[in-house]
Amino acid sequence: MFAAFHESISDPFATVQKHHDRLGRPVIGVVPAYFPLELIHAAGGYPVQLWGAGGSIEHADACLQSYCCSVSRSLLELEMRGVTGMVAAYAFTSLCDTLVNLREVYRRRFDKPTVEFSIPASQGREARKAYLSTVIESVLKGLEAVTGRAVSGEAMRSSAALYGRIRFLQREIYRVRRQKPGVAKNGDFYAVLKAGFFLPPEDYEPLLDRLVAELEALPPRKGRRPRLVLSGMVFEPVGAFAVFDDVQADVVDDDFANGWRSAAKGALQVDDLAAGITDYVYNGAPCCCIYHPESDRHAYLVEKAKAADADGVLFWSIRFCEPDAFDRPQLSERLKQEGIPAVTLEMDLATGNFEPIKTRVEAFCEMIGGLEV
Amino acid sequence: MTQLAAFKKMKELMTLYYIEAKTSTAKPVAWLTSGAPVEFVHAMDVIPVYPENYAAMCAASHQSVALMEAAEAAGFSQDICAYARTDFGQDLLRGGPAGGLPPPRFLVCSTNICKTVIKWYEAVARKHNAPLFLVDTPFLHDGLSRELVDYTVAQFHDLERFLSDQLKRPFDRDRLLEVIRMSQDATGLWRKILDLAKTMPAPLTSLDAFIHVAPIVTLRGTRPCVDYYQLLYEEVAERAARNIGAIPVERYRVLWDNLPIWFKMRYFEKLFEERKCALVTATYANSWGGITATQDVQTSDSIEALAVSYLNIYINFGFEERIRYLARLIDEFALTGFIMHSNRSCKPYSVGMYCLREEVSKLTGKPGVIIEADQNDPRVFSDTQVETRLDAFLESMTPLP
Repeated sequence: MFAAFHESISDPFATVQKHHDRLGRPVIGVVPAYFPLELIHAAGGYPVQLWGAGGSIEHADACLQSYCCSVSRSLLELEMRGVTGMVAAYAFTSLCDTLVNLREVYRRRFDKPTVEFSIPASQGREARKAYLSTVIESVLKGLEAVTGRAVSGEAMRSSAALYGRIRFLQREIYRVRRQKPGVAKNGDFYAVLKAGFFLPPEDYEPLLDRLVAELEALPPRKGRRPRLVLSGMVFEPVGAFAVFDDVQADVVDDDFANGWRSAAKGALQVDDLAAGITDYVYNGAPCCCIYHPESDRHAYLVEKAKAADADGVLFWSIRFCEPDAFDRPQLSERLKQEGIPAVTLEMDLATGNFEPIKTRVEAFCEMIGGLEV
Repeated sequence: MTQLAAFKKMKELMTLYYIEAKTSTAKPVAWLTSGAPVEFVHAMDVIPVYPENYAAMCAASHQSVALMEAAEAAGFSQDICAYARTDFGQDLLRGGPAGGLPPPRFLVCSTNICKTVIKWYEAVARKHNAPLFLVDTPFLHDGLSRELVDYTVAQFHDLERFLSDQLKRPFDRDRLLEVIRMSQDATGLWRKILDLAKTMPAPLTSLDAFIHVAPIVTLRGTRPCVDYYQLLYEEVAERAARNIGAIPVERYRVLWDNLPIWFKMRYFEKLFEERKCALVTATYANSWGGITATQDVQTSDSIEALAVSYLNIYINFGFEERIRYLARLIDEFALTGFIMHSNRSCKPYSVGMYCLREEVSKLTGKPGVIIEADQNDPRVFSDTQVETRLDAFLESMTPLP
């Protein structure tokens, strides 16, 4: 059921190269997070989401200090090593200070074009919309310069429908997981999401469609295991998710930027693109990197944990990610006030020994109980 | 530090400022980031308080570690900005030289210095149940544009409405224009003072500037601030005219990039003086030097000019512009080299610094060194490592003739 997904992520850049050779579309590397992939696709590009990678950092250390997060360092490492040689251009988002400066490093070090989706943080609706319109115009021009194709209204609608459908199907597998915890092993579940970073959307969508039907057909597992909600920026290293299977805990929902926070976004409305992108950025699940006081992460996470009947929340924290780290103490406190235990696991993408993670998860599961046979 | 008579006046000013902020019942207190458009706040007779300035004071008086440890015990990671941790700590313990900051009625933050301030101020706003107004000043990857100025001006108008709503009285535009004039006068004087360090020998160093920057951060937009910098200017200009150097012998003249290392001010003073090295210009101190000329946007409108000045801040520049700016300083101040502080607490300043050093050296032919440290956290500072690097750097520079 999951073989195609695992296969596509076992050597992600071989996957990308294979599809690039077949499609002939310029590959655009999408740096975290929330760059509307639809725009790239509509411009004739092949968007590939880059959320960092494992492995040692050797070359990037000459450019980025050890106090930069492993997402940024590993991305730079990939480019410096030539692993991302097939990437023709990069799409950045003004998500955090590190990524804003990382774009500048790329512009100085490499010849590849970059575009930036500068997310307005102002809460003044008029100011925001006017500025966002100029940002969209600049992004579309930048993409056109890479792909040689201007975005037509028809292409935009078609790409928005395709990505809207993909996110809908991802939300469906989340729903099935909430309803039937353990229906997919945790490692398999995240392999499904990760495959979507690298596969062309036309190939990914039918795989997801079939998977939803197959998961729906499976009976619920008997008995109750400790039920966890995970919160963090990235569900990496993905290999670590097998520890939840090893300790017999069920991840029933998540709040990952590259997991639910992305999947929660509805289909992009393209008739008024500035309004559609505003909705895309701000509505759906709140994120620590997007300032939007109308959408309170505290109430949201409490509600998510309760709706999933979770026994606890585990913060999956990638070191040196400031936006995530700033929110955590108050979020933990709020969860505890609501009677929801919370714990933090710190790691980086190069973490290869998952035993300490397993020990911590096991201890947390013992603490929260949740086992009903 | 250089013995300047104006120092006494500055201490008096800062003491009075903190006493008023701590004791005033007539005026509300707002917390602001150092790059927030304080002119609007002054126009409505609100006392602005700057957690960054207070955090620096805590570190300079060697009180930051206990405060950061309190924040860390409350769950804040050592990976986040040390200013923020110091601030959370002072709020928890009522600590630091002024016994903690007065609680905010509301907060105003601007992203021109970093995006981290959003997270920091969100946490404060939540804790104090105080409204937060954010002025978003996007990063200038490709210089200033009309769209960016319009976006910022539109937010200034939103800020006027916010202040009016908070204080339940109409926004005073006439008063704002007066405040802007005073702010421009003070920043103009500050720039002139810093430019005096072009004189050889330099009549004051960047270490002095780091001390005397306090009023321009906390009091710009007020008459006492203008008066103070007029006094300081006259004193420093007199020293320049009489060729009185800040250090006895000046063999090397260098630039300091990034925030000061507040808990090591005396250490650096001694270290540089012993090595006959004068820090004569600093991108950090220059950041309050007011509106810099920009070819992209010219305006005679005061509010637009203010938007230009708040967008046009060194760490809000793309690297192309930063490199040009550093090269210009190296030329104008006749520098023999430059020091970059790779500051764990300040990503906008530090991420990409290794590329910047390489390019600036290549462009100017001057050596640059990077030292790894932190603006406020002594626990990540190594005297040996810093001295070894600085000594190697000094050897690589060609001394002044």
